[in-house]
Amino acid sequence: MAPTGPGEAGADLTGKIRTLAEVVKTVPDGAHVALGGFAIARNPIAVVHELIRRNKRNLTLSQGVAGLDTDLLVGAGAVRHLIIGGGSLDRFGPVHCVNRARETGSLVYEDWTSLSICFRYLAGALGLSFIPIKSLIASEILARLEGGAGSDQVKAMQCPFTGEPYVALKALVPDICFLHVQIADAEGNCRILGPRWDNEEQAKAAKRIIVVAEEIVPTDEIRREPERTIIPGHRVEAIIHQPFGAYPASVFGCYDYDANHLKLYVEHARDPARVFDYIDKYILGSSDHWAWLAKAADMRQLSALKAERNLGY
Amino acid sequence: MAAAGARELKDGETVVVGIGLPQVACFLAKATHAPGLTPLLEIGVANMQPKDTPVGLADSRIFYRATCWSGFLDVMGMNLHRGLVDTGFLGALEVDRFGNINTTLSRQGGKVRYFNGSAGGNDVASLAKRVIIIMRHERRKLPVAVSHLTSPGFPGGKSRAESGLRGGGPHRIITDKAVLGFDGETRTARLISVHPGTSFEEVAANTGFPLRRPDDLAETPLPSAEQLRILREEIDPKSVYLGQAI
Repeated sequence: MAPTGPGEAGADLTGKIRTLAEVVKTVPDGAHVALGGFAIARNPIAVVHELIRRNKRNLTLSQGVAGLDTDLLVGAGAVRHLIIGGGSLDRFGPVHCVNRARETGSLVYEDWTSLSICFRYLAGALGLSFIPIKSLIASEILARLEGGAGSDQVKAMQCPFTGEPYVALKALVPDICFLHVQIADAEGNCRILGPRWDNEEQAKAAKRIIVVAEEIVPTDEIRREPERTIIPGHRVEAIIHQPFGAYPASVFGCYDYDANHLKLYVEHARDPARVFDYIDKYILGSSDHWAWLAKAADMRQLSALKAERNLGY
Repeated sequence: MAAAGARELKDGETVVVGIGLPQVACFLAKATHAPGLTPLLEIGVANMQPKDTPVGLADSRIFYRATCWSGFLDVMGMNLHRGLVDTGFLGALEVDRFGNINTTLSRQGGKVRYFNGSAGGNDVASLAKRVIIIMRHERRKLPVAVSHLTSPGFPGGKSRAESGLRGGGPHRIITDKAVLGFDGETRTARLISVHPGTSFEEVAANTGFPLRRPDDLAETPLPSAEQLRILREEIDPKSVYLGQAI
């Protein structure tokens, strides 16, 4: 069993704490996976590496703003169908693997916007079959969706009350959402510190929620401030305890992004030949996340990334 | 450029800002004439006090000391989609004569290269009461028509209502050479002022769509010494975003 964090009260009473390997084994090829990262923040990197190690194929992947997590999976050839609102590695560069895959047509691509993806997850989370929006109208994003892979996901409609034009978006219901959080307990109650983009709608839209937590705390601590619980435990299927689980991305309140490693990644990712060198060396060449951390950064480097309490980074 | 952007923001407004120059201009306004501005970030941040030159929207440095942390649904849904955002402040790869924005792709000699896409850009351009675009002034970045219409200005020169869009559309294009606005009837970009050290001829030669010399062409005011100090010492001390384009 994975480490459960401090103290007796953090013991795995509900049996939801799993290892990465146990959980990733249950992801079928071709599944629709939603990833909770944004650019280079709180990306479920530990999960993504394990999906690549297990050679998962033909995934459908959805995300509001794609980042390092999605770029890695696309670079590794694990993705057949991408549904995203945008993508970036912030000032470290664009999502080279995603952009190249679009240029070469090696995957099916649906190009949306941050809010339309969020609304689609919201509809999924609420059990609605569709949701109207006032974005996308008169844009080439809409024209391309209508004429391409998203043609059965969007439809022009009018408000039945006022006649105002809207775009109806089909609900988005991922098979599995992988969400990286700072704090969870053994029941799966999750706290997300800092801004949380579309994490709540995305996770609650999914059929299965898998959480990777930096820290596992006793449920007593969750009960002391339950208003901080963003995803309640009864919705969560499994919790993976993995400190530095988003490295080299940042986790607010825990650690900063590793600028040096991100530069190294981007140097590899921009070159279709070298991206496989990166995957071979760092991902396939590491048996698990601890081995990856030991390969990518020593204790001194990881310590230097740890967040200062009053800054959060 | 940042100072010209800041000048467009009024005290008390609610502004959704992108990373980079929009954010720099917004914080210059807030530090000077518009202390009551409420900046919002799409990821779910209100009224932050950024620190140490953030690299992106989800960098903990940009949402430092905010007054609210929420998510897309709050900022982009319950503020922007609700119609409560006065100004959307965006960057762009390309902007055309109707203020349509491309952030998706470029075409160079028949080869398509993809970039970041919309993220919140299309939502902001569709829904904010007015939109300010800030970008480098280059002929290829200001074409007659964008190579991909990511975010609508006045598509086809039509009114926003005719297109079915709620927000007011593009209001200004601010570059390192000039400030442009939009003609109320033709809905095409028109020159308002040129920056000191450049000229109408230079601006027109570096613009891909035709520009008329207005009878009342003004010179953009220079930033004040205090504005320059705030930009260089407080907002972007490492000159990551400013470069030489102030």
